[in-house]
Amino acid sequence: METRTPKQRDIFVEGAIDPSFLAESIAKHATRTDIGAHEIFLGQVRADLQPSTVIPADHPGQRAGGEDNAQPSAVQAIEYTAYRDMALEQMTVIREEAFSRWPSMTCLHVHHSLGVVAAGQLCFMVFASAPHRRAAREAVAYVVDRIKADLPIFGKEILADSSHVWKVNRSVDTVGRHTDR
Amino acid sequence: MNVLLFGLIAEKAGAHSMVMEASSTAELRVMLASRINGLDKLSYAIAVDRQVVKDDVPLMGAEEIAVLPPFAGG
Repeated sequence: METRTPKQRDIFVEGAIDPSFLAESIAKHATRTDIGAHEIFLGQVRADLQPSTVIPADHPGQRAGGEDNAQPSAVQAIEYTAYRDMALEQMTVIREEAFSRWPSMTCLHVHHSLGVVAAGQLCFMVFASAPHRRAAREAVAYVVDRIKADLPIFGKEILADSSHVWKVNRSVDTVGRHTDR
Repeated sequence: MNVLLFGLIAEKAGAHSMVMEASSTAELRVMLASRINGLDKLSYAIAVDRQVVKDDVPLMGAEEIAVLPPFAGG
């Protein structure tokens, strides 16, 4: 019996995802006339207010990020890093699962930024196509959630005051994946 | 063994990897806590050969070990 080794694809792009890349990606599907539905998820860097971790100059001994000196500061950008080898292996597994759950899906394209992405720019794209909308819709929702939960990608939120905080995907159930929450 | 460190944990350690000798992931956690200030207050996972392990597993020394703070993709 023939065994097929799933092809590992590189999902990572340096910096923000250009909206024109998305437009070109859509255009490339024009030759696939068996497709009747595209579903696209785009993640954009949000300028959340975060407690600053700047240590006041007049209190050098004060612990950064303490409750009493936490002035909010807006996220200017996120600097993404990843455990690349593990992320690409996990992505290959998620991809195979998505194609086995939605066998009618024609294609699935995933891109995630590494490096600095400014607030307002795109950092994440999941694009599924299928003959009909349901498979494309369900697959995108599933793949987005799985990527957020299982890909070792880390985000340093750089604040307006030049301090930073580490982003955590709070909507993801990390019980069992991490030690204490 | 070379232990890979990422994100907040790499920042706390001031390095992206550390050489350590541990015979299990439980022993590794104890050693990491003694080498990285404040690690005991952080949530983190250990990946062995690019798979997150939840329970204590023995380590032979040839595995690829990584210490992973909470994920933030998307």
